[in-house]
Amino acid sequence: MNGDQQYRRLLRWYPSSWRGRYGDELVAMMHDEYGGRRISGSARRSIALSGVSQRVRMSGLMGDRDDPADRVRAGALLVLCSWALFVVAGSAFAKFAEHWAAVTPPGSRAVPAAAYVSVSAAAALGAVIVGIGAVAAAPSFGRSMRQGGWSAVRRPVARAASVSLAAVVAGVGVISWAHLLSGPQRNGGLLLYGVVVLGWGLLVVAALATWTRAAVVAMRRTPLTLRVLRIEGWLAFGATAAMVVVAAGTIAWWAAMASSAPWFLGGGAVGSTASALPPVMVIAGSLMVGGLLAAGVGAVGIARSMPELGAG
Amino acid sequence: MAKRTTGTGGSPARTNEPSVLILTSLASGPKHGYALARDIESFAGVTLGPGTLYGAISRLDDRGLIEPAGSEPGRRPYRITASGRVALESAVRAMRQIADEGAARLRLDPQVGPPGGTRVAGLPRVSPLPGGAA
Repeated sequence: MNGDQQYRRLLRWYPSSWRGRYGDELVAMMHDEYGGRRISGSARRSIALSGVSQRVRMSGLMGDRDDPADRVRAGALLVLCSWALFVVAGSAFAKFAEHWAAVTPPGSRAVPAAAYVSVSAAAALGAVIVGIGAVAAAPSFGRSMRQGGWSAVRRPVARAASVSLAAVVAGVGVISWAHLLSGPQRNGGLLLYGVVVLGWGLLVVAALATWTRAAVVAMRRTPLTLRVLRIEGWLAFGATAAMVVVAAGTIAWWAAMASSAPWFLGGGAVGSTASALPPVMVIAGSLMVGGLLAAGVGAVGIARSMPELGAG
Repeated sequence: MAKRTTGTGGSPARTNEPSVLILTSLASGPKHGYALARDIESFAGVTLGPGTLYGAISRLDDRGLIEPAGSEPGRRPYRITASGRVALESAVRAMRQIADEGAARLRLDPQVGPPGGTRVAGLPRVSPLPGGAA
């Protein structure tokens, strides 16, 4: 591999739009610096780190480190992405936990009931907070769209709409089919139905992911006043707090059920012993932990940047 | 711990920030990537890797603090913009305030120093800024 090929290969660390703009210059600099020779390990690391950082920066979730307003916006968007993870995890938890009370001894229901109620309440509060955030940004978003911003968000919105349409059509098909099946068939008796429901679930997750992506792309390009940015920052703190309560409530419910009704977690008969680590709960728990970490990073970034926002 | 401050242009105020070093270098005239790296090495004693340098160049370009000075493909030179001068002035003032305070507390004469600037372990060399940006 000659020097030019080696240098151009390193450009793969960068997003394509960045490569298109600066790639030739960076390669020219490497030629000047190394004259076609093998590039040093430290320069390799510098390029790799810079490329990854450009990818994160261009995702809109990191923010410009020299611009507190951009960091507040990026932090709020990171919290929004975390919320999307919680919606997936919370839906999996809600589906898994339905009918838990029916197989739990009456004397052992107090703790899981309190945990379940706290999860539901925090989830509803979080949804309201995210809704208020959308309403607060709506006028700025509308102005941005009227001033030509639509072209930048058209593709992600079209992709999200297509995936959502596919999810709705698949959902209608799954529900129609479910009406023709018996209860036992719907609840694990018919393997094909289970696979189709799983595929539909993944389609719904994809729809949520593509809408979240579209929201991030749109809000990165929407000019927000300092007042709206502050509101979004405070709402992000609220959403993060709601996520903490959801995660804590889920863990409390899980622990209480593992102690008082382990057969529910394992899907066995009442009184039987079973694993306290059902795959659905492990996946939901992992998503919540990942979401909490990301939301924590976003919230800390906002907390550090808010005092630097000027008056306005 | 030093805290980064931002002025109206969100200007960084640390002498070893790649963006400050690039703006300082461009204050004396347009340069392309390799020339920038060599100039920064000569006046600050800091070697910026190609990734770090172009990461900072693209951030400054995005924020309108520098701009391409020609359409030459490959070795494209950059120049500092008016906003870039304002940001650099703000950064230089912030750094000078700290330097003056340090000099006063050490009872140093800020006008007198060894040729080529002083160097303290762990800190970049302090030397006069080109282009009269200060």
